[in-house]
Amino acid sequence: MRAALPMMLPAAVFLCGFLLFPVVSTMINSLYHDSPLTGREFCGLDNYRRLAGDDQALETVEFTFVFALSSVALEMVAGVLIALAISRVVLGRGPLRAVVILPWAVPTVVAAVMWKYIFNDQYGLLNYLVYGDSVAMYRAWLARPATARLAIIAADVWKASSFVALIALAGLQSVPQQLMEAARIDGAGPVRRFFHVTLPLIRPALLVALLFRVMDAFRVFDLVFVMTQGAPAGQTSVMQYFGYLKMFPEQQYGYGAAVSVVVFAIIAALSIVLVRTVGRRGLVE
Amino acid sequence: MDARVMCALATTGLLLAACGGGGPGETVTGITVVTWRPNSPGTWDRAIEMFEEANPDVRVELQTGPSSSTQLHDMLSQRLRNRDASVDVFVMDVVWPPEFAAAGWARPLDEAFGPEARGRFFEGTVEAVTWEGSVYGVPFFLDAGVLYYRTDLLSRYGLQPPETWGEMVRAADSVLLGEDDPSLYGYSAQMAQYEGLVCDMLELVGSAGGDLMQPGDEAAVRALRFARDSLVHLAGMTPPGILTYKEQESLELFASGGAVFHRNWPYAWALCADTAGSEIAGKVGISSLPSFPGGESVSALGGWSFGISAYSQHPEEAWRFVEHMTSPEVQRMFAVEVGKPPARRALYADSAVLAANPHFGPMEAVFEAAAPRPRSPLYPQISHRLQSFLHEAVGDPDSRIPRMAREAAADIAEILERAGG
Repeated sequence: MRAALPMMLPAAVFLCGFLLFPVVSTMINSLYHDSPLTGREFCGLDNYRRLAGDDQALETVEFTFVFALSSVALEMVAGVLIALAISRVVLGRGPLRAVVILPWAVPTVVAAVMWKYIFNDQYGLLNYLVYGDSVAMYRAWLARPATARLAIIAADVWKASSFVALIALAGLQSVPQQLMEAARIDGAGPVRRFFHVTLPLIRPALLVALLFRVMDAFRVFDLVFVMTQGAPAGQTSVMQYFGYLKMFPEQQYGYGAAVSVVVFAIIAALSIVLVRTVGRRGLVE
Repeated sequence: MDARVMCALATTGLLLAACGGGGPGETVTGITVVTWRPNSPGTWDRAIEMFEEANPDVRVELQTGPSSSTQLHDMLSQRLRNRDASVDVFVMDVVWPPEFAAAGWARPLDEAFGPEARGRFFEGTVEAVTWEGSVYGVPFFLDAGVLYYRTDLLSRYGLQPPETWGEMVRAADSVLLGEDDPSLYGYSAQMAQYEGLVCDMLELVGSAGGDLMQPGDEAAVRALRFARDSLVHLAGMTPPGILTYKEQESLELFASGGAVFHRNWPYAWALCADTAGSEIAGKVGISSLPSFPGGESVSALGGWSFGISAYSQHPEEAWRFVEHMTSPEVQRMFAVEVGKPPARRALYADSAVLAANPHFGPMEAVFEAAAPRPRSPLYPQISHRLQSFLHEAVGDPDSRIPRMAREAAADIAEILERAGG
C-alpha cells in the first residue's frame, strides 16, 4: 500500500496536468467575460445564455450534427465493405492493407489541401472527371452550400473509412472458420452468413470504431479550416471553428471557452452512451 | 535627432531602459521585429543591413509569421496578450491600430512621430494609426483597390475604360459576345468569405453613396443587388468560383488571360507585367474603380504600419528601427524593388519610384482618397459578421438583402454595445 502511492504519482501528475487541468480551467474561463479590451470579469452563465441565443452559433451546431451523423454512417458502411473485400484477398495481402491504411496515415491538413484542389473550379480533378474538356460546364463545388457540405463530408469519409476498415478487419480475423462453414453447410447464402454470423461477431469491434469516429467527427476543425473557412456564408462552419473564431481572431476568451465546453459536453454525453453500449455487448458475448 | 527622440520618449515615460547605457559600439542591444512572411526577403534583408550599419549598437532579429493577415493577427495578439517582452517591433495591418491601442499593446508615439513628421504621409494612413487622439504606429506602405483592364480587348471593340459599374458590365458583355471564348469572363475580383470581401464590397457600396455599417440603407442594398445580379450571377460575367476567390486566385485568372476586368491592389501591376508568369504582359491598363451613376469612385484603404510593443524593453532602439523602415530611402527601395506604394507623399514625385512604377503617378489621387474600413477596436468581430452577411447577400441568387442587412446591422450594434467579453 505504501509503495502504491509513489508508483501512481507519475500517472496521476500526467492525468491532472494534461487532462484535468485544461478541462477545468476552460470551464472556469467560460464563466468570465474576458477580452483584452474589457479585462476579466465574472459573469456567471452569461456566455452560455448568449450562446443559446446566437443564431450563427446554432447554425454551426446544425451542420456539426449533419456532418458527424452522415460522415460516420458512411464511414461505417464503407469501412466494413473494404474490410470484407480485403479479408478475401490471399495474394499480396500485406501491401494491399498498407494501401488501405494510407488515407488514415496522411495528416488531415494535407488531405484537406488535396481535396480543396480536387473541388477547385478551374483545374479541379472532379470537374475534369465529370465534364471533361467542356470548361464552360465546370462548377465551383465549394461555392454552393449543398455541394460544399458534401465536399467536406466526402473528404472525411475518404480519410476515416480506412480507420474503420482496419478495426473491422481485426474483428473479421477473430470470426471462427467453423461457424462460417457450419452456416454454409446449413445452406445459408453469403448475405445471410454476413448478417447472422459475421456481423454479430464483429459488432464489438465496430462499436469501438464507432465510438472513436463519433468523438472525432464532433470535434472536426481542420477540414473546415483548410477547405472552406465556413464559407459559403457560414454554411459549412462547425462548432469548433466557430469557437476558434471567437477565441483567437475575435479575442473573446470567455465566450470561446463556453463554446469549447459545450462541444466537450456533447462529445462526453455521446461517448458515455456509446461506452455503456459497448460494455453491455461485451458482457453478453 | 536621436537625442531629441530619446528625450521625447523619456518625458512621456516610455523609456524604461537605462538612458545612460552604452553608446554606439559599447554594448549591442538585440531587438525583435515580427512581420509577415515576405515575398521579397532580399529587400527586407538589405533594409535591415542598412539599419545595422548605421546603428552598430543594435542587432535586429527578424521573426517572420504567417503571410495571411488574419493568422499573423492570431499569433501577434496571443503574444501581446501574454505581455511577451521578446517582441519589440511589429507590423500592423491598417485595421489593427484601434484594437492594439485600446488593448494597451501598442506604445503611443505622439512625441516621436510629431505633427510635422505626420504631415509627410498620406492623411488616410496617419488616420489609420490614430486612436482617440494618439498615434500608435508609423505608416510603411499603403494599398488601395484599383481596376485593371485588358487594353487589347477594349481597343479591339472600340471601348473606353468604364466610368460606371454598368458601363463595365456592358463593355465586358460586348467583348464576351465578340470573342465567343468560353474560358473568358468579364470580371475577376475577391469574393471569398474573408477580409478581402469586405474591401471589395466597401468599394461597391461606397461608390453608390452608401455605408457598409448601414447595410440596410437604400444605396447599400442597390449596390449589393448589383453585385449579386450583374456580377456574381450574370452568366459569363464572373467565373463560377468567384465566391471562393481571394487575391491570388482572382489574379491568376486575369493574368492567364481569363478576364476582361480585374479589381485588385497595386501589387498586381508588376505581376501582370512580368512576362514569366503573365500571358497578358503589355496588354494591361489601370484606372480608378468605377462608381454608380451620381456616386464617386471609392477605393478601400489597405496597407501596413510599424508599431512598437508596450512591453518592449528597448523602446529607444525599436523607435530608431521604425524610423529607419519608414524613412524615404527604405520606402523608395520597397517601391522600386517590390512595387509597394509608399505612404510618404514626396515619393510620388521621385524619378526612381516612377520609373519602376509608372502607374503610381496617375494613381496618387486614388491613394490619397482611399476609404478606411470601419474603425473600431472590435473590428475583427464586426468584420466576421459583415463577411457572412456579404457572402450570403451576393452569393445566394435569391438572397433577401434588406432583411439580412437589418439582422447584420442589429448584430453589429450588439457587438458594439457589448464591447468585448
